[in-house]
Amino acid sequence: MRNFLPLLMKEEKAVFSSPIAYAIIAVYLLLMGYTFTLMLFLNRTAELVRIFFQAAVLFLLIVPVITMRLLAEERRSGTLELLLTSPVREFEIVLAKFAASVTMIALMLLLTASHAVVLGIYAEPDWGPIYSGFLGLFLLAGALSAVGLLVSGLTANQIVAAVIAMGIGILMWMIDSIGYLLPDPFDTIVTSLSFVAHFTPFATGALFLSDLGFFLTVMLACLLLSVRTLARR
Amino acid sequence: MGLLGPNGSGKTTILRILAGYLRPSAGTARIAGLDVVDDSLAARRCVGYVPEDVPLYGGMAVREFLGFMGRLKGLTAPGLSGAVSEAMHRLRLEQMHDVQIGRLSRGYRQRVAIAQALLGNPALLILDEPTNGLDPRQIIEMRELIRSLGGERTILVTSHILGEIERVADRIAILLDGRLLGVHALRGSGMAQRLRVRIRGDDQHVRTCLARVPGVTAVEAEGEPAISATTYVVDADRSVGEALATAVVGNGFGLLAMEPAPVDLEALFLRLTAQRTEAAR
Repeated sequence: MRNFLPLLMKEEKAVFSSPIAYAIIAVYLLLMGYTFTLMLFLNRTAELVRIFFQAAVLFLLIVPVITMRLLAEERRSGTLELLLTSPVREFEIVLAKFAASVTMIALMLLLTASHAVVLGIYAEPDWGPIYSGFLGLFLLAGALSAVGLLVSGLTANQIVAAVIAMGIGILMWMIDSIGYLLPDPFDTIVTSLSFVAHFTPFATGALFLSDLGFFLTVMLACLLLSVRTLARR
Repeated sequence: MGLLGPNGSGKTTILRILAGYLRPSAGTARIAGLDVVDDSLAARRCVGYVPEDVPLYGGMAVREFLGFMGRLKGLTAPGLSGAVSEAMHRLRLEQMHDVQIGRLSRGYRQRVAIAQALLGNPALLILDEPTNGLDPRQIIEMRELIRSLGGERTILVTSHILGEIERVADRIAILLDGRLLGVHALRGSGMAQRLRVRIRGDDQHVRTCLARVPGVTAVEAEGEPAISATTYVVDADRSVGEALATAVVGNGFGLLAMEPAPVDLEALFLRLTAQRTEAAR
């Protein structure tokens, strides 16, 4: 893991020196602020469930844009050749890129936490669902990042990487709907693959280890496949 | 060591396998005794690699980039800064240390790429077509640089231009369609050599005597044979000077002169590629 830190620093710099990061954060905060304000003045309820669901849907669209350049850009510009011919292990490269993407998402969630602070100042919200909602969003975004990173490693075209990762994310979000058409036991299998099925308990304040395990499994599987993709070359 | 071959002959593929970027589909490759697949990490530590299209991180400044690459090659804080400064000094990059790589000319980018390859002091430096895209003055500077670096380590350099290889390499390997056609010495070494020998004696007997020397592969007379003395061009697959002189004098012929003959790289290349084409038929 000796090379992880220099690789991570390089990735962080690449993420935060690009205007894409600031455009994404600005648009995300604008949309979240709009919904939060509406919710506060129209519903007058001290909870963030709708905010969590809106953030989750935004992440389905935003995370692929954050991850699209991670490996595709290195492949297109040829710098992947430079990295892979240095004495660096493939998993160090993959972990550094994943961590850089997750750092940006964590920053976005930290900024979203301002909504919870406002609720805390003007009302007495139930904090349990708020904490679990943020944890759920973080896990969902982590899983989407891992999917995006894997797809980014398979192509040299960033747009292709973003579109495919977006497609996979959206499909995984709503794949439970097709479960109604399938016979037993396929309906259960398909439903348990759905992002929304595992995210809803978090957003409503119910913590299950199975949901946590699901998101961690998706992350681990995609990261391992990304390492394999780099190692196969 | 130069790797010569027409475009598409497999030069870059071989370099990428040696540098650890590609895995061979068959066979093995070793660097300093380390298998490039089984001991990939250790083998990569022995290699400094400069790819043909010089990929670099355009958003980084020169010193920042070299520091990053140095850390990846295992250099740590006390020695890293010194190693980066030395590499920049060697490649005359000091004045560009805070310039973004994306703003550098092709010549400077090539120098930055070589500077990063030198970090960690690798035993083998691999340069893929290092003079591609450079102007004539930069090409001359690059040749001088390659020659100056060669004294300390092995340099494997590729080109599809005969003249380029001839100017920088001591030995060349000729490649066609992924196959090695031969390895030849251009300057003094124990590899294949060509000698020009002036001998007094009967032409037929002299030829027989020369051909019997172990290692000699071809004997040709320069011009018409004469009784006074004839000049022969002898090709051998190893160093045969001493054995040749002993054989000539031992058989009672007069050895008037012997000198290394320059290898006609163009003729050699054409001969080897023609042989390969004929063999393929």
